[in-house]
Amino acid sequence: MKRALITGAAAGLGEAMARELVRDGFEIVGLDRSEGPHVTLRADLSVPREVDRALDVALSRGPYDLVVLNAGVSATGRFEQIPVEAHRTVLAVNAQAPIVLAHGLVRAGGLAPRARLVFVSSLSHFVGYPGAASYAASKSALAVYARSIARPMRRRGHSVTLACPGPMKTAQAERHAPPGARDDRRMDAADAARAILKAARAGRALSVPGPANRAGWLFGRLAPALAARTMRRLIYDKLDRDVW
Amino acid sequence: MSDGPARRPVALVTGSTSGLGLCLARRLEGRYRLILAGRRDRFPGPLPEGAIYVAADQADPHAASQAIETRLAEAGIDRLNLAFLNAGTGTYGDPFDEDTASVRRTLAVNLEAPLLLSHALFARLQSASGRLVLIGSVARTGSANLAAYAASKGGLDALARALGEEWRGRVAVSMIHPGPIATGMHEKAGFDPKGLRRFFASPERMAAMVERAVEAGRSRAVLGSAATLAHLIGSGMRR
Repeated sequence: MKRALITGAAAGLGEAMARELVRDGFEIVGLDRSEGPHVTLRADLSVPREVDRALDVALSRGPYDLVVLNAGVSATGRFEQIPVEAHRTVLAVNAQAPIVLAHGLVRAGGLAPRARLVFVSSLSHFVGYPGAASYAASKSALAVYARSIARPMRRRGHSVTLACPGPMKTAQAERHAPPGARDDRRMDAADAARAILKAARAGRALSVPGPANRAGWLFGRLAPALAARTMRRLIYDKLDRDVW
Repeated sequence: MSDGPARRPVALVTGSTSGLGLCLARRLEGRYRLILAGRRDRFPGPLPEGAIYVAADQADPHAASQAIETRLAEAGIDRLNLAFLNAGTGTYGDPFDEDTASVRRTLAVNLEAPLLLSHALFARLQSASGRLVLIGSVARTGSANLAAYAASKGGLDALARALGEEWRGRVAVSMIHPGPIATGMHEKAGFDPKGLRRFFASPERMAAMVERAVEAGRSRAVLGSAATLAHLIGSGMRR
């Protein structure tokens, strides 16, 4: 039986991926701070000690054919008005934890031969995200880490997929979206989950699920400054509250 | 200018005890009232006139940012014209040879510390319509032998991109990505540049290039080998 480790497995994209993988016959080790049908390892990834403990537990239940580092939190609003603790949590959960987990799994031999590693970053890596500066920083750090270890991982027989989904119909996206944002324009988490897992199985380096997000990706690559300015108008100028 | 230090504009430099930070501090000396931060207990050599030195190890980002803020408050400095967040660290080699503590330290010093400082310094920067200067790296897009370092600098780049938009009209943001500099950092990081060293900018030259980009009000500058070569030729011709 194939085994997968998924962080942030209780809700949203992580839960959708867990459901998808159970259907494909995977045994799931689901990590989350909250309870959920696929959660078998409870840990708060904003605390380094908890990350170390979670890594030890995860290693004892491995090795893994697939690892999806998906857990993420956000803090939206005016950077200077969001409490500094919230920014620290965003960096810890979204960047430090997945990097330390991936690094630790590889070092301790926690991966099965020809394993697939997926880092869930964000479309914000390409288009920028004024109104979520620490989130943008954390997701770009993760994206660059994924890209940096791709070759060293290939030398070990593993693949690395960088997933950059855009806004989804999840409770988290709902909480952080500007007022009046249209839910029907956001992607279904199940569709994004399928697209990302398909890319991972094919060993593809990058997955940007959904045609609208791929258009955003292209826009961000071709005109990064204009994309960030557009994001400011679409999001930052409309934010009427700080949420973390 | 004969203005006493207390009447000068105020500039902060982190990582000011060596390399690029030290050269930046030397360039600003005399024109700015300097707040110099570093990991060492004291500033190496004589402190510039009117300067304040803060011992603050950026590996503990929260403590470092609090130490700097406390010293600013003690000195009655409520306006900051320039902040060079320059302190950096890294380890060269296969990403999985590095130990976990070193990965965490790199992310703390290069990403979390400047993020927390940007947050802590905002009010003072805004009061002076000042400028935040983040020192990144040409490795920001990814590097197999500098994985955690590249990640931290890629994160910093995204922070600058977001803050540049958020703070437009309030605080200017400059994201500077220097190419390799001939400081002790490569050896400390475990990499012997050997013959490549001749293509490295001296820290003095890089400091001059950084200052010029900042004075030109650039929101973004990549100062790699081509820019270094252009500066070398340009300064040779002016001589």
